[in-house]
Amino acid sequence: MEVLTSLFNVALLVAMLRTTAPILLVAMGGSFTTKAGIFNIGLEGQMLVGAFFAVLGSIWTGSAWGGVLCGVAAALVFALIFALLVVTFRANEVVVGLALNILAGGMTISLMKAVFGTRGSIVGQGIVGLPKVQIPFAREMLGSWAPLISGYTPLVYVAFLAVPLLVLFYRRTRLGLHIRVVGEKPEAAEALGISITRIRYTSSLLCGLLAGLAGAHLSLGYITMFTENMSSGRGFMAVAILIFSNGDPLRVLAGCLLFGFADAFSLRLQTFGYPSYLILAVPYLVALAALFALSYRARPKLIRETAETMRRFLSAEPDKPSNPRPQ
Amino acid sequence: MSLRLRAILGQVIAVAFALALGSIVILLIDESPIRVFTTLLRGAFGDPGKVAGTLLQSTPILISGVAACIALRGGMFNVGVEGQLFLGGFAAAVVGFGLDLPTGLHMLVGLAAAILAGAVWVAIPAYFRVRFNTNEVVSTILSNYVAILLTSYFTIFLFKRPGGWSETPPILTSAHLPELFDFSRLNWGLVIGLVLALLTAWYFRNTPGGYSVSMTGSAPRFAEYGGVDIKKRGFWVLIASGAVGGLAGGVETLGVHHRFMEGFAPGFGFDGLIAALLANGSPIGTILTALFFGALRSGSLLLETDTAASREIITVIQALIILSVSAQVLLRRRGDAQGGERRWKF
Repeated sequence: MEVLTSLFNVALLVAMLRTTAPILLVAMGGSFTTKAGIFNIGLEGQMLVGAFFAVLGSIWTGSAWGGVLCGVAAALVFALIFALLVVTFRANEVVVGLALNILAGGMTISLMKAVFGTRGSIVGQGIVGLPKVQIPFAREMLGSWAPLISGYTPLVYVAFLAVPLLVLFYRRTRLGLHIRVVGEKPEAAEALGISITRIRYTSSLLCGLLAGLAGAHLSLGYITMFTENMSSGRGFMAVAILIFSNGDPLRVLAGCLLFGFADAFSLRLQTFGYPSYLILAVPYLVALAALFALSYRARPKLIRETAETMRRFLSAEPDKPSNPRPQ
Repeated sequence: MSLRLRAILGQVIAVAFALALGSIVILLIDESPIRVFTTLLRGAFGDPGKVAGTLLQSTPILISGVAACIALRGGMFNVGVEGQLFLGGFAAAVVGFGLDLPTGLHMLVGLAAAILAGAVWVAIPAYFRVRFNTNEVVSTILSNYVAILLTSYFTIFLFKRPGGWSETPPILTSAHLPELFDFSRLNWGLVIGLVLALLTAWYFRNTPGGYSVSMTGSAPRFAEYGGVDIKKRGFWVLIASGAVGGLAGGVETLGVHHRFMEGFAPGFGFDGLIAALLANGSPIGTILTALFFGALRSGSLLLETDTAASREIITVIQALIILSVSAQVLLRRRGDAQGGERRWKF
């Protein structure tokens, strides 16, 4: 019983929410590209350059937010290259994504050596981490449960707020609807005069934005350092989640919480003396198991639902001609 | 022939473009591109020992490249060569120090164990790929992490060598792959790789089975109409690819390190995939691209000591090469892609 209470307590939940945040941010980013019909295996690389440039920017500007800005900018550049090659040149998504991941790995290590003259990791050097947000009156309202909602770094809140925002975005906004149409029925989008190119660029850049934030959270959030390949497969796990959730924000959240839990739980187990190599493999095994277990269900087609929304949407806006004008 | 010549020319131009981009990156990190490239050349081909070193580095890249080629031809990505290589290397090492067999036979059993390990490791992703259409890119990538951690665990906790080394005991000499020269560790692994590449090319070009694999990859509906069971074919293609990936690890263990250790072959699997992509899935072409990447790798050893650049700069160059190749292939055939149908969606 004592073992159980020391395993499962508020601290575990808090740790779970903390470890969920980076993967949730990057998966929410990937939700845009998934919905737009792009298979974005390059999330890992975008996250990695985000983490590296966040550290670099934080040192240059002396402020954590300057760092976040730099990290996001770097991830956006990668997202732009991805979109340029995949959308404009119609190159293979997997090849481009993998190449960008490899580029991110090599580039961050090379730059680390060029700028700091070190290998392995950047620690100290004046990196400014993100502040912790204290929610007022949290302690009064929740007592010992207060750490559940208060005391995280800002990007954790951003990650969890992104979920309802994305739900609304896909259901209620024109851009969200366009992204869904482009992903599910490109021909229909074309017939409606939606520019597939523009929508795919937009969703790729939105994805880069969130992936950059995820990277910044990795290197400036709870630990303020950068290490080689510090994204350690989180981007790939996010892609696994996106596959079985089909990019739906709520299901992405569920998947990410599962990983956050696996991560936090395995870190907890490590303190009980289980060999760390096996423990480290747990999140990947969970990802694989979930991918395999959930993929036997055919992917639900949302086309009918989208067609319905589209019709309502179009009838609400009569200024947009829904059929070509007769000559 | 002229079509093929034009294709090769296109790849060469893409490589040149990537090298130009790479030079800009090198300038950005305050180093002279000329110095970096001459150092790379010197490190790769400076003397016979260095040439042998280049060939030694090319061997696992070549075998992993053939593994990737097989999957690419069948229309799939085996991004898990890295993990198969680690498991193959580990299995070969276990046979190498655990069994006591006559010379020659011991080596063959070791290689067979490596092949088996690679094939078994890819079996689950392969099954789910053909049965439930589970994206094999993600499942094989994730299984890499598991494979690497798992082999590290076995090495450190189960077969720990006394004295604190994180490596298995050395394999018996009866399991060693014979060396080709006395001045280098270059061994018969290179010959195995070359023969394998030629055999694979022959298989794809001259046999009905090879043709059906190519068709399963490039025109699955046509293949199915022609009577190919594309699910079964796809499964065995991935299994074959994984088996060759395991072989790459076995050759590395039995030929070079003579033991399995943590991080024993970092990135060879990925280099092999890149080499196969650059060769456009052709096993013969992979021989050339594997040599190219082997030369880059072996040249990069000098980079750390002789220049301010780190050896990962070659990773950057490789990635740039693949990016420019992926762009130019489709520039050339942009008309074909106008339908916008990409097969690599989940």
